[in-house]
Amino acid sequence: MSSKERQTGMSVIVRTTARLTVGFILLYGIYILSHGHVSPGGGFAGGVIIALSFINLMLAYGKDTALSKLPKAVTSFFENLGALILLSIALLGFTGGYFFLNFIAKGEPFHLFSAGTIPLLNLAISLKVGAGIFAIFVAFVLLKYEPEKNKKE
Amino acid sequence: MAIYLLCLSFFSVGLYGILRKRNIIKIIIGVIIAEYAVNLFFILIAYRIEGRAPIYSPNAEITNMVDALPQAVVLTSIVIGLATTVILIALAMRIFEKYGTFDITKIRDLRG
Repeated sequence: MSSKERQTGMSVIVRTTARLTVGFILLYGIYILSHGHVSPGGGFAGGVIIALSFINLMLAYGKDTALSKLPKAVTSFFENLGALILLSIALLGFTGGYFFLNFIAKGEPFHLFSAGTIPLLNLAISLKVGAGIFAIFVAFVLLKYEPEKNKKE
Repeated sequence: MAIYLLCLSFFSVGLYGILRKRNIIKIIIGVIIAEYAVNLFFILIAYRIEGRAPIYSPNAEITNMVDALPQAVVLTSIVIGLATTVILIALAMRIFEKYGTFDITKIRDLRG
């Protein structure tokens, strides 16, 4: 391997395995998220798996590669967007009567496009949770150790 | 009944880690183990003999399901546990940054 590849991240085996599996992990997270209303799973579990795919990328390739895919500002934006989508869907329930009212057509049970607002709420929760967990990991990685001297006064 | 005692011993392992260890990281691991023991206890008292998962699915006859309420509580508890673990680790990192050690007996610089 060249010296350029050896700069950041872990060994070639880990990097190759991560490159091959990160897409599948992300796809599995999206599957868990989108089928949250018809099978076990949902917004929280899907969001965690989506965040884990980016964390896997960061562990294998170092922080610069992962932060170029998903910068800090974008992470912060998605986290705020998730909370705002959830709140606005809940507030839109007042058009029919009360908070968290399921105001869209429900559709057939046990189909993918059904259950009204619940898939949208799952999407909002997964944005919030995935961005939040990735932000926690980034905060731990980027925290610098600067051992300061015990200054008197 | 024996399985509840096993759960209690699992909790005791975590309590031993909290009370007896001196390394902050090991104390945090003790907190996590105790928390998971409580989660496991909640799931165990919700179990029914021959019960199945409380998920309504098509073409499945409704027999006896396990109790769904403690599972919802434990799901919330796992999320809160994640947040408290993050706070504990952040505090441990700050302590290491200031004192240069994880040993709680050597953190005695209280002059400010």
